[in-house]
Amino acid sequence: METKLSDLRPGNTATVTKVTGSGAVKRRIADMGITPGARIEMIRNAPLGDPIEFKVRGYLLTLRRSEAEDVMVSTEVQM
Amino acid sequence: MKRVKAVLGDDPEIAFAEKRYNMIGEILEECLTKTETGMTFSDKLDKVLLNKYLGIPIFLILVWALFQFSIEASGVFMAIIETALVTVGEFFGTLLAGNEMAASLVQDGIFGGFAFILPFLAPIFLMFLGIAWLEDSGYFARAAFVMDKLLRKLGVHGKTFIPMMLGFGCNIPAIMACRSIEGEKDRMISILSNPYISCGARLPVYVLFAAAFFPGFEGSVIFSMYILGLAVAIFTAWLLRKTFFKGEPEPFIMELPIYRVPTLRASVLHMWERGVVFLKKAGTWLFLGAIILWFMSAFGPAGYLGIDPDVSVSYTGILGGLIQPIFAPLGFDWRLGAALIFAFLAKEIAVESLGIIFAIEGDIAIGGALAGVFSPATAAAFMIFILLYIPCVAAVGTIKSETNSWKWTLFSVVYSIIIAYVIAAIAFALLSAIGLGVIGGA
Amino acid sequence: MTVRVALIGNPNVGKSVIFNNLVPGARQHVGNWPGKTVEKKTGKYRYNGEEYELVDLPGCYSLTARAVDELVSRTYILEEKPDVVVNIVDASNVERNLYLTLLLMELEANIVVALNQMDVAKSKGYTIRTEKLASRLGIPVVETIATQKVGMEMLKKAIENAAKSPKPAFLTYPSDIEDLIEKLVTILSVDASLVTHHPARWLAIKLIERDKEVLEMIQGTALDSKIEEVFA
Repeated sequence: METKLSDLRPGNTATVTKVTGSGAVKRRIADMGITPGARIEMIRNAPLGDPIEFKVRGYLLTLRRSEAEDVMVSTEVQM
Repeated sequence: MKRVKAVLGDDPEIAFAEKRYNMIGEILEECLTKTETGMTFSDKLDKVLLNKYLGIPIFLILVWALFQFSIEASGVFMAIIETALVTVGEFFGTLLAGNEMAASLVQDGIFGGFAFILPFLAPIFLMFLGIAWLEDSGYFARAAFVMDKLLRKLGVHGKTFIPMMLGFGCNIPAIMACRSIEGEKDRMISILSNPYISCGARLPVYVLFAAAFFPGFEGSVIFSMYILGLAVAIFTAWLLRKTFFKGEPEPFIMELPIYRVPTLRASVLHMWERGVVFLKKAGTWLFLGAIILWFMSAFGPAGYLGIDPDVSVSYTGILGGLIQPIFAPLGFDWRLGAALIFAFLAKEIAVESLGIIFAIEGDIAIGGALAGVFSPATAAAFMIFILLYIPCVAAVGTIKSETNSWKWTLFSVVYSIIIAYVIAAIAFALLSAIGLGVIGGA
Repeated sequence: MTVRVALIGNPNVGKSVIFNNLVPGARQHVGNWPGKTVEKKTGKYRYNGEEYELVDLPGCYSLTARAVDELVSRTYILEEKPDVVVNIVDASNVERNLYLTLLLMELEANIVVALNQMDVAKSKGYTIRTEKLASRLGIPVVETIATQKVGMEMLKKAIENAAKSPKPAFLTYPSDIEDLIEKLVTILSVDASLVTHHPARWLAIKLIERDKEVLEMIQGTALDSKIEEVFA
């Protein structure tokens, strides 16, 4: 099922399908390893609910909710 | 002919990033084996430090601990510096016993003011050591993560938290640290709001005035000055965001590095890099300032004024008298006026200049002398003015070099004077209303 | 003659510790990059009778024209052409760190990789076959633990070797992309001054990525329309 990265709950893992959003931010997100095909795990929300912490490419990365909304992921189990 | 679109699709930039990561994946398939180690220590620590309920209280406790550390641990260093200064002072005192003017320069000029300030190097350096340790450990990136939402509501980026903390040590390295903030608007707001964070150089002023005018309440008085500085910094950031730098703060795409125990060597190095900036400022302005101040206070148009003279007829007295009328509604006399002028070189010089003026006039204990001349309401207004008006000349220089704009530097100077005057006047009026406007009325 | 060495890496990889290990604090010089509020740290050290000048490039994740730090780094490598580029790679975060390595390879720099924080990588359960990695990348890789000063001698040796026999990195992409790169390189090669100052393949890749700075270089030249055909 395709959904937004911002909709994942702690412990959920998904595969990135598409990175949208504006030029500079989109490129930064991709440079940090959130590219189509990447496996990404939602770790936790910050205590105030935003930003969100993810694990991708073996390290921890934070994005604001508004940035995570620009990344589409698939929660289908990979073969 | 093959086109870019056919190979890489509508978004070649992202597709290229994907290709690179795919190549890395292929390389690592051959070169990297991962053994499951379960939750690492770093992961476990995050479970607590970033916990939904504990995250913010832990942050507040750590900030409090940082202050406690810099204050408590500095006591012994301050005592060492003080003892050393007294020894040196006595040595010069006997050496120059025959020469009245030279003895006055050394005892009144150097030891009347300079010596009061020097020990305060200790809390500044220990503050930087604590910050370096927390930063190198990986916690500060987490603190930015924890605080981002709140700070964003106030118009600044979560990462601004780091320059804010540094500002409690010295605003110069703090303003320089704003470089790590991406995005022009975010960076400008962080730079222009930082000078209101109460740096270590203002501490001697608070210590002197709080002890003289609010005995028994020193701690609360000093604490409220720090809170006021923080509040004005946040208000300024909010105002700038609403007016000149409209828009949303930059994205928060940040790595949370693995926690590590920082080596003492690395932390000390880090502390030194920042502390040396303060030392340079202090070395230049405080020592030079002390000598200039002594000359200006011991001499007047009539020449050398002799022992225990009326300093109001000296150059310092004349200069202070010039701006005194502006501050008369707050109860400032020519001494405080002069202190404000000289304190533009460095905030500590406020103490230095008062020390020198009173020392030349024959008073050794500045505190007692102050309490005999001003009311607590005036003292509070002066502390607030010192906190908020123009940061020292070195910080103004740093604002110029970091904003690369004379316009914003000038804005910062003018705005700070206005806000300092307004808040000092409000405080003076409030305190006078509750009966603290009388000399000796604490 | 002084060998010019540039130090580059992601933030949090221990780059400044390596810099301090190579150049003692007293011999460091801190200033700014011309016209930029980005710190520039330089320093010299001697090794086997040779003098080395180390330049610390700002820590960065990428080399786009969009961020000041990144632009400073890439402009330095392109225009100052340092003899050796030392890329500090965090072994415990190797997947994302190698992204910058690939970007440096696109720049055809003479690279030495310092695979740092090997101790942290081990504690994370990572086993890295360093020799294999070096051969796959085609660049020398040295294991280091900067905080314990481990591997510093090896690193100096590798820098010396790389300076004596320079070998610009070369990165081959999958064949469909290579076709595009080749086509653009043919078009770009007409402009001799452009391709002598910048690696032609790098220009081609940046054109595909629509890099602002490279697009501006091309704009208004005779190449402009021919290049646009490839994108049409």
